Amino acid sequence: MSQWLANVLDRASTVNDWLSPVRQTALATLREQAWPTRRTEAWRYTSLHEVAELELAQANSAQSTVNAEAPAIEGLNSLDLVFVDAQPVTDFSKLILPEGVTVTSLHGVNADQQARISKIFNQAKPTHHLFGLVNDVLAEQGVVIDVAAGAEIEQPIRIVNFVTDGVESHHRVLVNVGDNAKVTVIEHGAGNGHSMNTAYAEYVLGSETKLEHYRFAMHGQEAIHMGGSHFKLGEHSRLNSTIVGYGSRLTRIDTDVIHAAEHAFAKMNCIYLLAPKEHFDLHTTIEHAKPNGTSEENARGIVGDKAKAIFNGRIHIHRDAQKTLAELNNRNLLLSRGGQINTKPELEIYADDVQCAHGATVAEIAEEELYYLQTRGIPRSQALVMLNFGFVQELVNQMPNKALSTWLQPLLRERFSAMETK
Amino acid sequence: MSEQIDKALARKYDAGFVSEIESDTFPIGLDESVIRRISAMKEEPEWMLDWRLQAFRSWQKMKEPDWAHLGYEKVDYQSISYYSAPKSMKDKPQSLAEVDPELLRTYEKLGIPLHEQEMLAGVAVDAVFDSVSVVTTFRAKLEEAGVIFCPISEAIKKYPDLVKKYIGSVVPRSDNFFAALNSAVFTDGSFVYIPKGVRCPMELSTYFRINELNTGQFERTLIIAEEGSHVSYLEGCTAPQRDENQLHAAVVELVAQDNAEIKYSTVQNWYPGDENGKGGIYNFVTKRGICETNAKISWTQVETGSAITWKYPSCILRGDNSVGEFYSVALTRGRQQADTGTKMIHLGKNTKSTIISKGISAGNSSNAYRGLVKMGPKADGARNFTECDSLLIGDKSAAHTFPYIESSNPSAIVEHEATTSKVSDDQLFLCQQRGLDTEKAVSMIVNGFCKEVFKELPMEFAVEAGKLLEISLEGSVG
Repeated sequence: MSQWLANVLDRASTVNDWLSPVRQTALATLREQAWPTRRTEAWRYTSLHEVAELELAQANSAQSTVNAEAPAIEGLNSLDLVFVDAQPVTDFSKLILPEGVTVTSLHGVNADQQARISKIFNQAKPTHHLFGLVNDVLAEQGVVIDVAAGAEIEQPIRIVNFVTDGVESHHRVLVNVGDNAKVTVIEHGAGNGHSMNTAYAEYVLGSETKLEHYRFAMHGQEAIHMGGSHFKLGEHSRLNSTIVGYGSRLTRIDTDVIHAAEHAFAKMNCIYLLAPKEHFDLHTTIEHAKPNGTSEENARGIVGDKAKAIFNGRIHIHRDAQKTLAELNNRNLLLSRGGQINTKPELEIYADDVQCAHGATVAEIAEEELYYLQTRGIPRSQALVMLNFGFVQELVNQMPNKALSTWLQPLLRERFSAMETK
Repeated sequence: MSEQIDKALARKYDAGFVSEIESDTFPIGLDESVIRRISAMKEEPEWMLDWRLQAFRSWQKMKEPDWAHLGYEKVDYQSISYYSAPKSMKDKPQSLAEVDPELLRTYEKLGIPLHEQEMLAGVAVDAVFDSVSVVTTFRAKLEEAGVIFCPISEAIKKYPDLVKKYIGSVVPRSDNFFAALNSAVFTDGSFVYIPKGVRCPMELSTYFRINELNTGQFERTLIIAEEGSHVSYLEGCTAPQRDENQLHAAVVELVAQDNAEIKYSTVQNWYPGDENGKGGIYNFVTKRGICETNAKISWTQVETGSAITWKYPSCILRGDNSVGEFYSVALTRGRQQADTGTKMIHLGKNTKSTIISKGISAGNSSNAYRGLVKMGPKADGARNFTECDSLLIGDKSAAHTFPYIESSNPSAIVEHEATTSKVSDDQLFLCQQRGLDTEKAVSMIVNGFCKEVFKELPMEFAVEAGKLLEISLEGSVG
């Protein structure tokens, strides 16, 4: 048990709202959790000693007066829900919502919604994520998005959460997508200063739904971020998710995709670019619980300077999940001495009529490729950026939302240029 | 098809006979006095006893590892006997003629070329029966070349300096729970020493067999290949069929000095337990080798037996340009569980490793590959290639892959790929079209699946391995 976790348990008793029953269950589980050490498999490569002694001010509604605006992205035209340290800045009552979408602050749901939401709470997020449990217990603020059955929402919904210096905050997103509905949700974490936040999002997808999902973890150099996006897939539902992470001292993201019904399709792309001392730890799990599911996952990362990347990609195929197709690929470039990459793609398979494959590579940019570009008059430094960028560009190009990929490209390019090699 | 499955499940374990040999077995239980007694029986020097006792004390403080993907009832370490020797051993046979004929018949049944007359087989055998090494053949011829090949108990007495220098140098006595237990109570095993520049004139071989009820087998093998030498070593294992689980916790240490090469092959066919998972060997083995400059260690294993397999033959590539290889076929059926793989630790520059692992799971079994490839900060230009393929036969079997890749060197390259699938209908159809029945077709496909590994085995073993696989697969086709 760490001091930090002891404080969390203490504070848990002060949280008393309509979610109390589910919070109590989570609290009971949390109390049984041991503080992870390097011997805890899920935290093998990430030390939590910094978190153990963390003492930051708790976010409260007074701070939400900070004026924050969502980063402008040309052509995105999104419906923005802005939070500062998990406190809502957007006045939800004044939003002009597309037909079929209901957006409510976690704090302000009515009795009707309460009954429904408590049913989706923790439906997609498994209980073994330590910081997820902390979030269950402490996240008083967040947003509930409801997409009515059959609604096809063209306007992307963007949830922006700024974290500020010296503050600890906990933020929760719950999204319910009705049958045959279609929607795009962007989770954007940003901020500056030394902060700690947990942000967990759950998506429950009905049958024949389409969800386009993005998660940008860009919390700033001094930030500690623990979070996750979790998806429960309905029959014939389609998920297309892109996760991009860089720029904070310690980020740990857990994702779970649960094929809870047949014929679901999930595609997940992850990009991480780390320097100078960033630590990024991504654990993804794809659970095929039902037959005829398909999943494709591609994670690519570049590590420079003294940064450290951890990727753990697990595919779990249950006994009943016959005719599953699952593929996972993780590719890494290590640019510097002092940098570190630890990757573990896992397959756990209990059904025989399946086709599964995973691959992982760690390599450097081939000298031949650099030489080729140099002979064509391109300076080495520029050639490096080109090759690095080419490595992840493929995934950027696959982002279905062109406004987002256009916005992301120069950001990534800039970051590559700043990365020192060797 | 279900008829065939029934037939397969009913298949008997061929090596499951019990030999009626009078034996000298310690009462069950483990404490310092047992270790002192083992050491005294073996007439060991003081330092060896101290070493054992220190290992025992560390073991007492250790916890049995539970990270492997295995489910089994934990062993009660106080309910097994730590020493069992065929009685006739007491007067130490001087030649094969003096060996208990029953014992020889046992080996005959197993098909071990123990007799001198089988010299043409060209295999020198050190057979370990329960806890003591029975006889070592071809010793004279090996001595001529300067090769030492003898039971480790004998080496402790005859070559104490060599043993003292190298034992525990690769697998320290408190390395892990099972290695520490082995260090405390190991009873015998093989010792091989190849002097500088010598190419061992024949393949060396050890055959392990657990016979006695309620005994554990703790053998320890130490192979030292001096500069520029070469040796190929084979190991085979069987055990009788019993309802109780028997424990096997071995340690194998390999030292490959500059430019030396060690090839270590295993065909493991311990009793796997019956179709309900009753009985069978618990196989917890620590195997590790150190490679100095330009040295090479190659592990090849064919694992078809044991109720539980916990085994990760590893290479520490310490010297520049050293090479590590791991070729493995692991077949599980019935209720067998295997968690096996390798560790390749790249420390030196331009070190290279190859991992080829083929897992086949049939019946209700579970088969996991667990591996680690680590590129140290000084491993400039290091390379690894890993391929793990799993084949599933039957809808109740399970196959898992847990590869760990850790890289801290920008010029190192690691590649890992893994696939899992069943025998494809297309392949089967193609074979059947050409007149093969389903069973033959599957056997052929599986053999092809394992070919990359089999070709690494020495000739005799390759044949045995292929046969073993065929028998094990018999009718598992569904």
